[in-house]
Amino acid sequence: MNGGKTFNWLGWLVLAILLSLWEYGARASPKLQFYIPPVSQILTALGQLFASGQVAGHLLSTLSRFLEGYVIAALLAVSLGILLGHFRFAYSLLETLIEFLRPMPSVAIIPVAVLTLGIGDAMIVAVTVYASLWPILVNTIDGVRNIEPTLIDTARTFGLRGWAILWRVILPGAAPYIVTGLRISLSIALILVTTAEMIAGSRGLGFFILDQERSFDSGNMYAGIIVVAALGYGLNRLFLALEGKALGWRRGMLARESV
Amino acid sequence: MRESKLNGIFFLLALFFVWELASRSEWVNPLIVPPLSKIFVSFGSLVATGDIPLQILASMKRAAVGYFLAAAVFIPLGILMGLFERCYRALEVVIELLRPVPPPVVIPVALLFFGLEDEMKIFVIFFSCAWPILLNTLDGVRNIDRLLLNTARTFGLSHVKIIWQVVLPACSPQIMTGLRVSLPITLILVVISEMVGSTDGIGYFILDSQRRFKVAQMYAGMLALAVLGYALNLLFNLAHRALLPWHWGMLRKEQG
Repeated sequence: MNGGKTFNWLGWLVLAILLSLWEYGARASPKLQFYIPPVSQILTALGQLFASGQVAGHLLSTLSRFLEGYVIAALLAVSLGILLGHFRFAYSLLETLIEFLRPMPSVAIIPVAVLTLGIGDAMIVAVTVYASLWPILVNTIDGVRNIEPTLIDTARTFGLRGWAILWRVILPGAAPYIVTGLRISLSIALILVTTAEMIAGSRGLGFFILDQERSFDSGNMYAGIIVVAALGYGLNRLFLALEGKALGWRRGMLARESV
Repeated sequence: MRESKLNGIFFLLALFFVWELASRSEWVNPLIVPPLSKIFVSFGSLVATGDIPLQILASMKRAAVGYFLAAAVFIPLGILMGLFERCYRALEVVIELLRPVPPPVVIPVALLFFGLEDEMKIFVIFFSCAWPILLNTLDGVRNIDRLLLNTARTFGLSHVKIIWQVVLPACSPQIMTGLRVSLPITLILVVISEMVGSTDGIGYFILDSQRRFKVAQMYAGMLALAVLGYALNLLFNLAHRALLPWHWGMLRKEQG
């Protein structure tokens, strides 16, 4: 962000000071310990959770629900978005419905999902799909609409038809928009998985964290939060790496333009 | 344009008709998907008895406090971090470590500290609105033309005056963006936190209706939420127009 990649000693110093204040503050006051146990205790809890394999199962269910929901949402939303972006009539049919559904906070769908699908993986995945769908859909529609008609005409002139145009002109043309939608949905999907696990789950990190709070084991609770944050961070880094691979051509183009 | 709008409305009406028919003729289980007319009747009576307005009022009080508290803390912080590099560097690591925490995960922490009280929801909303508001403000300040700042300095304006008369107006569009992004986040988080730990509010109302198997009432609550989301967006647009009329005009022009 700020040009130089020098080590931010000031930032780490501030973090170290905050953490040591936390550690000693918590040690000094047993009353405080109930709410915020010393950092060292949280890290020990984290280590034990991993060593005993207690957290691995929860992590795995959260991750698999997330992946399933996210991938299904991406496939659905991109195909639907291309259809709606390309065919004006189809869009005109669904526009009002989309405008009606979008302002409703997606988590409100959880009770309906519980009612129809019961408590379990299917419910959590369905909720995740529903919520992650919107950003990808709206961005894909935008992306397809912003492709220059000349591009498609040129492709036609060169004898490309149907699928070839879709695959070689429309998809690459809309890709930057699609990626924006995918990035927004990444964090939304994680929010929905953990929320659904809290409200109606018996496994997963969301359930684990809330369950630890209810049994007043705040050390384990904070350890669980660290695991979720690490998961979110890791998924984000993975996304950026894949984006760089897939859209490297575009970054090169932008860099050249800005020079 | 008008015709396409009409298409959409017809399609929606057709969908409503199919829903009604499917439920009445029991193609789908009417216990799970009640006829639409029943949902509307339930919505109407719940609004008339004041049940839904009361629940929404409870939710909105929490949402407003959390939202404006976040704005009051993180807009000034963003300006400070944007103006003073050292301030940015000092907080960068802490922020980067906290940012990947998905907001709903903070709910158990808030529950531990505040129990089921209003403060619990307010804290959760405050935390989740922090990042969009802070990062957009920061971005806005950084993208201010340095010439503007230097000119203000040349004319001998004090720090306070520079912030008030130059920085704040120049980055107000980005601040607005941060506030706009935070709006649906606020609504989502107030609903989630009421579902996980509350005794009232629209989020609690919807989940509780489901658990008591009052299905029409549950859908009515969702309808109320959709209306609320739509109304909040409208309200935000009005505020945007009143506070930054020049920017609003620019946006309108861009969209054609």
